[in-house]
Formats: sequence, structure tokens, C-alpha cells
Amino acid sequence: MTLLRGFLWLLGFQLLGQLAVEWLALPVSPAMAGLLLLLAWLLVTRRLNEGVAAASQALIPLLAMLIMPGVVGVFFVIDEFAGHWTAVMVALVLGTLLSVLTTFWLMRRLMPGDAASLDDSKESRP
Amino acid sequence: MSHWHAVLDGPILAIALTLAAYLGGVRLFERLGRPNWCPAVLIGALLTAAGLWLLGIPYADYRHDVAWLTLLLGPVTVALAVPLYQQRRHILALWKPILGCLPLAAALAACYAVAIAWLLGAPPAVLASLAPKSVTAPLAIGIQEQIGGSLSLMLGGLLITGVVSTLCVTWLARLLDIRDPRLIGFTLGVNGHAIGTVRAFELGPTAGAFASLGMSLTGVFTALFLPLAWRLTGF
Repeated sequence: MTLLRGFLWLLGFQLLGQLAVEWLALPVSPAMAGLLLLLAWLLVTRRLNEGVAAASQALIPLLAMLIMPGVVGVFFVIDEFAGHWTAVMVALVLGTLLSVLTTFWLMRRLMPGDAASLDDSKESRP
Repeated sequence: MSHWHAVLDGPILAIALTLAAYLGGVRLFERLGRPNWCPAVLIGALLTAAGLWLLGIPYADYRHDVAWLTLLLGPVTVALAVPLYQQRRHILALWKPILGCLPLAAALAACYAVAIAWLLGAPPAVLASLAPKSVTAPLAIGIQEQIGGSLSLMLGGLLITGVVSTLCVTWLARLLDIRDPRLIGFTLGVNGHAIGTVRAFELGPTAGAFASLGMSLTGVFTALFLPLAWRLTGF
């Protein structure tokens, strides 16, 4: 029952998110608005109720399974972009490598304490 | 034969196939020694595609039926607020670097890929499909509606980006001697959206919370920034 109650809370916040998105014409998905609203609610009340904690613990491990059906679509569009695969692959692989490197570099630059104090000379090496 | 058709038509088969393929994917993933280059999601997706092909189910029908299951993506996204709340002290301690880094990191994640593809002569439809590559799928679909491009190519780009980010983060963290789970988690979330976040939760709750944070912030920022940038650059 605790789990169900928590699930109902999550659905409630998703619905609130949907209302917010509709009313304010926000460019985010209802679920993301729900996440932000639930987080704001938790930060204001400073109390995590048992049900919400139980439901989130049960649901978060399902994330990978839930994104899988969208991933399956890739195998069905391979023909559609036959002429551009090299550009697409190089852009994705090289672009991602560069952006991961940039995030690491920026965060290390800006982070105080232990992480930022690590050897700086290594950062200039790509 | 008509009995068989009744089974093929219902959403239960699509859901059962998805669960079976995912569980099979996880099993194989464990057998292979949890390889970084091939996450369980990818193995599961291959198994699903093989199942669809064997059963002769068109992908569009599968997508339609499995929506009964993927509906859960909404409440699961909302549930990510809980690890964020639980890790609030760690996050608040780092709010300055996070907010300083995020806009640039998220904008560059889109720009690098678009610039490289443009240099290699890809047409605008391909560029638009690549731009939201680091955004979590439900938000990326919203962006794609605004800037155009192909939905399937975009989802393919998301998958490849997620896998490549996981690989790059693991490799570069070792190379640059980065062990801070906050930094690794955040980078996984910013660049690798849900796939990176799944990987971060495997590393631990702190990395997972920072990945959720990176994923949500990148998603919201890119959803606001990309349609605007697209209009300004006149693609």
C-alpha cells in the first residue's frame, strides 16, 4: 500500500506538471515540470514521505527498460540516411568526446576543494 | 490463424517482448562481464528488434502497443526528484560550479556535433536531428517538434551519444585521474542523458543524483536555448 500511495503522489505531481506546462506554455515536458515541482515541494516541506521514497526506489531501476523501445527504432531507420552515416557518426562520436572533455575541464576549473586541487598540468592534454 | 492474430494485435505481446528482451539483455550483459561499450539497453534493443523481425511485427505497430508500458516514463522522471532531494547537501555545496558550467557545457554538446556534421556536408534535416543529442528522450521529442528533422534519426543519435558518453567518461576519467563521483555523475548526466544516468546509478547514489541533476538541467536549458538558436541562425 505504501508503494501505491507513493505512485499516486508521483502521478499527482506529473498532473500538476502538465497543468503548469499548459498554463504557462513552458517548453518542457509535463514529467520534467513534475520533477521540478516535486523537488520544490520536498525542499519546502523538508519531509520525504515513506510512500514517495518507496515508489522512487522501485521505479528508478526501470528507467533503462523504459527507454529501450525508443532505441529499437534506430535499427529501422538505417536505410533512410544511408548517404550521411559517416557525417552522423563522426559528429556524434567526436562531438561527444569533445563535450565530455569540456564538461570535465569546466567542472574541474570551477569546483572548489579536492577535485579542483588535482594536478592541473594534465588538463591541457587532450 | 485468427487466434494468432488476436495475440499479435494486443499490446500484451509488445510489453511481454520488451520485458523478455530487457531481462535477456541484462543477463547477457552480466555474462559478458558488464562491458562499458555495450550497455544492457543496447543488447535488449537488438533482441527486441530481432523479436519483431521474427514475429513479423512492423516497428510502428510495436511502438504504438508498447506505449502502454512506456507511459511509466512520466512517473519515473518525476521520481528522479527523490535522489536529487536526498543529495541536496552535496548539490547545494556545488551550486556555483554547476550553474557556471552547465549553460556552456550543454550548448557546446549541441554545437560540436552540429558543427562537425555541417563541415562534413550534412543537410539541415540531419543537423536538426543531431542538435538535441544530449537531451533526455521525452524533452528531445519536444525540441524536435520545434526545429524539425527526423525523429528516428534523432533517437538513434541519442542512443549513440549515450553509449559514447559512457565510454568517454570512463576513459577520460581514468586518463585525467578523476575519481570524484559528483564530477563523474554530473558529466554522465549532462552528456549522456538517461543512458549516462543509468550508468551513474550503477556507480552509486551520489553519482546517480548528480547525473539526474545534470540530465534535468541540460534538458531544460537545451529545450529553451535550441529552438531560439535555431531561429537566430536561420536553418
